[in-house]
Amino acid sequence: MSKPANAVELIDRYLQGVRFWLPKGRPQEDLLSELGEDLHSQIEARESELGRRLEMNEVSEILKRCGPPMVVAARFAPKSYLIGPGIFPIYRFVLKMVLLWILIPVFVFIVAPVNLANSGGHWGTAWVHAMQGIWSGAFFAAAVITLVFAILERTQMHNAAACKWDPLKLPPVQKTERKPSLAQTVSELAFNWFGLIWLLLLPRYPELIFGPAHRFLTFGTIWRTFYVPIILITIVALLRCAITLARPQWSWFPSTAQFVQTALGMILVHFLLQAALHSPAGLPYTFVALSDGVQHTAQNVKVAALINVCGLIGLAGAWLGLSIAVPINLWQLMQSYRKRKVAAQHSPSLQAQ
Amino acid sequence: MPPSSSNFDPEIFENLKLELRRGCLTLAVLTQLREERYGYTLRKALADEGLEIDEGTLYPLLRRLESQGLLVSQWREEDKRNKRFYRLSPQGKHTLNQLLAEWERINRSLTKILQEA
Repeated sequence: MSKPANAVELIDRYLQGVRFWLPKGRPQEDLLSELGEDLHSQIEARESELGRRLEMNEVSEILKRCGPPMVVAARFAPKSYLIGPGIFPIYRFVLKMVLLWILIPVFVFIVAPVNLANSGGHWGTAWVHAMQGIWSGAFFAAAVITLVFAILERTQMHNAAACKWDPLKLPPVQKTERKPSLAQTVSELAFNWFGLIWLLLLPRYPELIFGPAHRFLTFGTIWRTFYVPIILITIVALLRCAITLARPQWSWFPSTAQFVQTALGMILVHFLLQAALHSPAGLPYTFVALSDGVQHTAQNVKVAALINVCGLIGLAGAWLGLSIAVPINLWQLMQSYRKRKVAAQHSPSLQAQ
Repeated sequence: MPPSSSNFDPEIFENLKLELRRGCLTLAVLTQLREERYGYTLRKALADEGLEIDEGTLYPLLRRLESQGLLVSQWREEDKRNKRFYRLSPQGKHTLNQLLAEWERINRSLTKILQEA
């Protein structure tokens, strides 16, 4: 690259650099003329101070102090936003909601399982397709949301909405820690207590679940493995309710215990489902079986098969529900931790609210 | 716990200094433009009074004040070079008087607060 012949050419090169980054139009020429004039004046003033012409490196120092062309142009150009500060918080909220709470759950709980189910054993390929789908879906959703908000910014439609804002419609103040109500905890405690007794009585009195069908139905072998863990989880739930009632001052406890209980439940249901799907005896006799010595009539077999299919569907539903509940509980736990941390840092007046 | 002097953050200080300077610079520029000046002489006049202002701050400020109707400008040739001369508009003169009154009020309050502290 050739070096500039003199100070004027160096300034022209500098102004050309600034021009590139400035928005086109008449204000651009005005700005450049004014900046050029200022630089020439600076050089003149310095030359009259020194009593000689400036060297090229001295002119270069003046330009360096002025700043790189792109930075100077950014300062000179009018401020413009793709999404301005007025609607940026809403944009961020919508983006987070769509990506984290809609798109990812849809892919994790619907698209990915469907892909895996239809993969025909090619789990790696199905996983890659699911990941490609989630990325393209995320980019598309983010692009559409950004476009909509950019249009809102351009048309200034949010200003009209801001004018209609009514302070009387503001939601009530949230407490820093939302504790479960007393009635809710007592009901849960009673439910878990009766549930535990019922579970403990089941092996001795199967009619409590089978009704009249206990004459020809018996529990499947799967319960030999999972009966005790189910009893333990019910005891965990019972303890959670009892401690929540006995120690209301432990604000951290309800959300933490709820998360632990839900996670344990999900692990148990996962293994139960695995065991049911890989039962060596085959699907129809996983959860219930025909009692020994009972005639294998078509009707008895049909009832047992129906109960097993219903059990499997119920278990899959429980797994799906718990898969959604675990991240929600985790989020609530993190929120609760964050709120407690913020409350601890704030003034006593805020904590007292 | 209040931060100790070892926790001094130069970036925070620079941002606060910029905020403090921003309003003062507008007032200083408007005051200097009670008489007609072009960009470089305005910068020099401010620097001579101890208020250095770079090109990237001054020219956008002049443009904004002109678009708000507080300044008027005119391109004119002087010393064989085209220069843009600025001066206060009638609206600018009125606004400056109000701003100076406000500045006096703030200054009095601040002086009082600082003396009490």
